Amino acid sequence: MQVEQQSIICTGCGCLCDDLDVKLAQGQIQEVANVCLWGLSRFFPIKRLHPQKERHRLLEPLWRRNGRLRQVSYTQALELAAAILGQARRPLIYGLTNTGSWAQEAALQLARKLKARLEPADLAFKAPYYQSLRRHGFYWAPLEVIRDEADTVLFWGANPLHSCPRHLVRYSVFARGRFMERGVEERQVAAVDLYRTEMAKFCRLLVQIEPRQELDLLKGVEAHLSGSAAAKPAVKGARKLAKFLSQAEFGVIFFGRGATSRQGFAVLDTLGGLAARLGEKQTWALFPLSGDFNSQGLYHLLLNELGVPEAPDFGHEGGVLTAAQPVDFGEFDAILVLGADLFWFLPEDQASDLQKRQVPVVCLSPFANRTTDCSRVVLPTALAGLETAEVAYRMDGLPLVLKKLLPTALPADRDILLDLIQAV
Amino acid sequence: MNLKITGGRVYDPAQGLDGAERDLLIQGDRIVSSLEKTDRVIEAAGRVVVPGGIDLRGQVATYGLNFLGLWNHFPSLQELGRLYAAAGYTHVHEPFLTMYTAGYVHRQLAAIPLVDTSASLVLNLRDMDNRLKSLEQMEEVGQTIKSLQEKTRALDLRLLEPFVRYRQAFYSHRTLETARTLEGLTRLALDCNLRFTLEANPEVLELPLPEPRAFHLAALGRAVTDDRLLEPALARLEEGGTADLGFELPGASAAMAGKPVKVDLGGHYPLDLNPGGQEPLAALRLALAYQGPNLAFSLGGPVRNPVAEFPRYFSWLWDRKARPPAGQGQLPPREFSLWDWVWATRTLPAKILGLADRGHLQNGARADMAIFDLPPDAPRRRWINGLSRCHTLIKAGVVVVENFELVAPETPKATYYRRTGAEGGPLLAEICQYRSLRPENLWVPDELGGPWVGLD
Repeated sequence: MQVEQQSIICTGCGCLCDDLDVKLAQGQIQEVANVCLWGLSRFFPIKRLHPQKERHRLLEPLWRRNGRLRQVSYTQALELAAAILGQARRPLIYGLTNTGSWAQEAALQLARKLKARLEPADLAFKAPYYQSLRRHGFYWAPLEVIRDEADTVLFWGANPLHSCPRHLVRYSVFARGRFMERGVEERQVAAVDLYRTEMAKFCRLLVQIEPRQELDLLKGVEAHLSGSAAAKPAVKGARKLAKFLSQAEFGVIFFGRGATSRQGFAVLDTLGGLAARLGEKQTWALFPLSGDFNSQGLYHLLLNELGVPEAPDFGHEGGVLTAAQPVDFGEFDAILVLGADLFWFLPEDQASDLQKRQVPVVCLSPFANRTTDCSRVVLPTALAGLETAEVAYRMDGLPLVLKKLLPTALPADRDILLDLIQAV
Repeated sequence: MNLKITGGRVYDPAQGLDGAERDLLIQGDRIVSSLEKTDRVIEAAGRVVVPGGIDLRGQVATYGLNFLGLWNHFPSLQELGRLYAAAGYTHVHEPFLTMYTAGYVHRQLAAIPLVDTSASLVLNLRDMDNRLKSLEQMEEVGQTIKSLQEKTRALDLRLLEPFVRYRQAFYSHRTLETARTLEGLTRLALDCNLRFTLEANPEVLELPLPEPRAFHLAALGRAVTDDRLLEPALARLEEGGTADLGFELPGASAAMAGKPVKVDLGGHYPLDLNPGGQEPLAALRLALAYQGPNLAFSLGGPVRNPVAEFPRYFSWLWDRKARPPAGQGQLPPREFSLWDWVWATRTLPAKILGLADRGHLQNGARADMAIFDLPPDAPRRRWINGLSRCHTLIKAGVVVVENFELVAPETPKATYYRRTGAEGGPLLAEICQYRSLRPENLWVPDELGGPWVGLD
């Protein structure tokens, strides 16, 4: 049996690790080296972080009839999807943060044609960040520079071990950079979180707070930095955190979804203000930890095309409107989902409202998930970066080409979107 | 298609044509001396015909630049291409591409329609600091730079920081001050047949340049921060070095005022996308005081200098009454002729970028030309109206703009880079070992840009 070895980029998360080595034999993956458990689920049909649990790969287009999903041909599925989306009064295109850039470009084209709203799956996470940049400015550094130079790293509401596992090793904590040759021995690392996570094992400081204490903690830090702190801070740890931040030469605040889960706009606004204030004397960057592999690509596209990194809505008279607030699903009467599992994240009441109103869902996905279970039409897709070539942006905005390694009869999501544009 | 452009007043400094009435013949994408048959005649009587414009320092694809959209300060890439075409430009050169942002820059450049593109590789001298001190290792450094240039698909080489400094005190023994760095770079340029574009600053002007012709000074006007520096700036040009102006509007943008808008490209200082801006009088004074052939036109930065502002800057050059009130009386009375303008915006930029078949209208040149509706007797105050938007733009023999309307939005375009054929040695391997990406992913693959045209 002939074994071929290939280097490949992992699409497990926004790190886009490019040091994976894959052994291929007879058109199948035999072994993947350097991959994390998160990434493993991209190469084998298993669940994220649960390698024993199998994931069902979709191979045929499906149409729900009389409550049951039945196999149909690609042409039939495409016609049904086009009819659903074309006849909708208010269509929504949702997700896209786990698709390649070519597919994202096609989805934006489709949104324009359908006069739909295009909703990034992680809008609630990213919109507060961009609003914060607008208000306070930014110091943007690619991960290359952070790895080389950052001597102080703060994780705020983020546990990269669960959202982008190799981030710590490749870029932020243990990585041996050009001027940080001893890695974690030279870096100061802290975390702010609601829980005492695994991060405590290597963080010099872990500030554990209660829900809704984020703003008080930040106010306390600001007060300490400006020398106007009260004797007893409202949140324990503010003084230590202020001291930690003020010692940096080159610091980075990586924030995760924990930072935006409550009072997201206010927390990010204050964090952005803090980074700008610290940046007056030292170098400080505020950096979102994107879990989805091409979230950055989507916002890059929106910035390029529309100048606004928010959800564009082409369904308004007089031009496109953009929204920073997550969508109200109650407005929409048809949904196209790709690059996300909508029903996994949707609160119970909203999911049941969609089902009660019988809002038709068209889903493009390589694997069965909660959304495909609730969809009217399901179109299986090839896996980007494995079965089809694509482009994706690493979480610092650098684009990488994802290679095609394996043959497949399944179409790429971009091709399906282009077919939909023709068919609608 | 065979085209004949008849009756236009042709301005082409390369041929010594200063408004002479000439017919121009185009076969395919080239200018030719004769045609067997003509498919189409474009009437240009009473109009000005010039080569297609080349923006020597068009900051359009710098890493992080699209964040300026947050303050509505940057047009979409589609819009940008249309603006350039409407202004009579056929090529834009991005100044800031680094080893690891090369893919980003090229993907952005590829998304700009209509105009051809290219980029400068910004060298980080920290990657080769110790070797720059040693005469014996110049050859290796030169080969490495050439190899980097080809792998990142850059057209030329640029230095933002002509020194080596470190944030970390631990590395201070590796510091290289500007004078010593310039000495090393000059030797490198002479030994390895390289030419560097050096972002000008006051320190560079105050130091002697061992061989001015080894350097092109970019945004020279911005470096003339006081009157005392005008003389050394002029001296650089008189010594045979080339430069571009780097016009910049004063005052910070209101929406971005006081906010840091910086991108770290891995140098000692970050790239400031919202610099305070300075009075353009120094750049203007320099442009008017220097009467030789070595000064090209360029703008200083992206935020306040969109291509739509070009005509305003041009009018300052050719019409003394249009100049900023603050400069009235202080500036030399000289006014640019159309010949001077064509030289500074077309002929010289093409020479500087090494685009041998652009910037002129000789036989064999690529048929890139702009036709402006400017009557022969138009007073200078009217030039801004006539030269703001081109009546007809022809790119590689294709009519792109006709009667002020974009008629060929899908015109093919390409990204130009220098094919050096150099292989990287141990120094390149050393540089790559610090990067988080494997070398094959650092270098720009076909898919991230193009279509590509490699120049030898």
